[in-house]
Amino acid sequence: MSLSRVVATAWRENLLFSVLLELTYRCNLDCFFCYNDLGLRGEPLSREQYFRLLSDLREMEVMNLTLSGGEPLAHPDFLALGARARELGFVVRIKSNGHALRGELARRVRDEVDPFLIEVSLHGATAAVHDRQTRVPGSFDRLLANLRELRSLSLRVKLNSTLTRWNEGEIEEMFDLADALGLPLQVDPEVTPRDDGDREPLQVAPSREGVLRLFRLQFARGRAAEEGKPEARVARGGDDGTVPVPVHKHCGAGSSGIAIDPFGNVYPCVQWRRPVGNLHEKGIGEIWSRSAGLAEVRDLTVRVKERIGAEGPGSHLLNFCPGSAAAHAGSPLELYPAAVQRREILEQVMVEEEKRALLPVVR
Amino acid sequence: MISITPATVLRRRSDVRYRRIEGEAVVLRQSAAEVLVLNEVGASVLDLADGESSVGEWIDALRDEYEGDSATLARDVLAFASELAEAGLLEPVAGKEEP
Repeated sequence: MSLSRVVATAWRENLLFSVLLELTYRCNLDCFFCYNDLGLRGEPLSREQYFRLLSDLREMEVMNLTLSGGEPLAHPDFLALGARARELGFVVRIKSNGHALRGELARRVRDEVDPFLIEVSLHGATAAVHDRQTRVPGSFDRLLANLRELRSLSLRVKLNSTLTRWNEGEIEEMFDLADALGLPLQVDPEVTPRDDGDREPLQVAPSREGVLRLFRLQFARGRAAEEGKPEARVARGGDDGTVPVPVHKHCGAGSSGIAIDPFGNVYPCVQWRRPVGNLHEKGIGEIWSRSAGLAEVRDLTVRVKERIGAEGPGSHLLNFCPGSAAAHAGSPLELYPAAVQRREILEQVMVEEEKRALLPVVR
Repeated sequence: MISITPATVLRRRSDVRYRRIEGEAVVLRQSAAEVLVLNEVGASVLDLADGESSVGEWIDALRDEYEGDSATLARDVLAFASELAEAGLLEPVAGKEEP
């Protein structure tokens, strides 16, 4: 069985495979477009409740556990929870702003949590742009020093960035910086409203030119990476994981993955803030198997697949997210402007790439 | 080539993470960022590789679980254990070899 078949099985059979825990909304930075609902109130899950949750998730054969926030390291029990997750054999990922990841704490994260991956946010290639986003002077310089330290500790790190109007002008330099640090950089071309529906972050949504510039750059980097590589192998009917396995759902939201906020609210996905249960009231096993809200979400992912499929051959270029659709347009089934623009720009860049392939090579 | 006999005691390497999905095992070797999917027997072998029981004891345990020729099962388990050790998923436990 290939991994893609395993994923398809999880989607089809509703086998929980990946869980994201937003441990706290506290943070040592103050990012302008942070999507967290900082006004959300409730009783935070206790250490004992987290331990019970992790034990339940182990019983359910959940493999991937992402510790997120806010800034997850700001949770007072972060190391204890991370260590328990390691003990229970989860593949642990940490999503952090990287500001506190240095010195003794970085070493303890490595030795006690042993994460598979630490995903760190980078907001620009210069202090002026990065610090404008984080609203903490000096955060860029400190981040670079911390990233070098993490590398020296042999921790696996990936950089995440959201394309904004503020950093779109130095996107090439951001990739250069990532290359210089020896780290992969993933850029999300979409700014979303906050989880409480506040649309203020959209003020810094990237321009059309900015997204076009990013996609051109990504295609060019992809081409460069391919140069010198052996010819691609012929796919063997999905057994090698390179061929998508047909599945009747658009995504695994609520079918193979969930997100849980600091107050125990369970959501189908970090993007899709539609509560389907609360851990103060029911255990995760009961929510997973009996939540009417989750059943609705699973049905919706089937309808989304049909809805997006009706958009025709280029529909996959929308990279449609039902959670983003719900946030942008009020319905997980509605096309939203950022997705439509993404398809249009990707089609433009793909046409450019096709023309490039027809040009004679000048040596 | 790692020589595996029924007396060998093996354990999962510390960077191995795995879960069972519909009987099969999804395995991640963290250090290599490599994902493998093992069949049901492979998944059972991973479960059994606790650093305490010998490969011979695995064979006895699996004999109760799987029907078929006993000698074939023993040969398959030894080969599988060897493959998993070669793949970096299992390692011998020093000083634990059974007499």
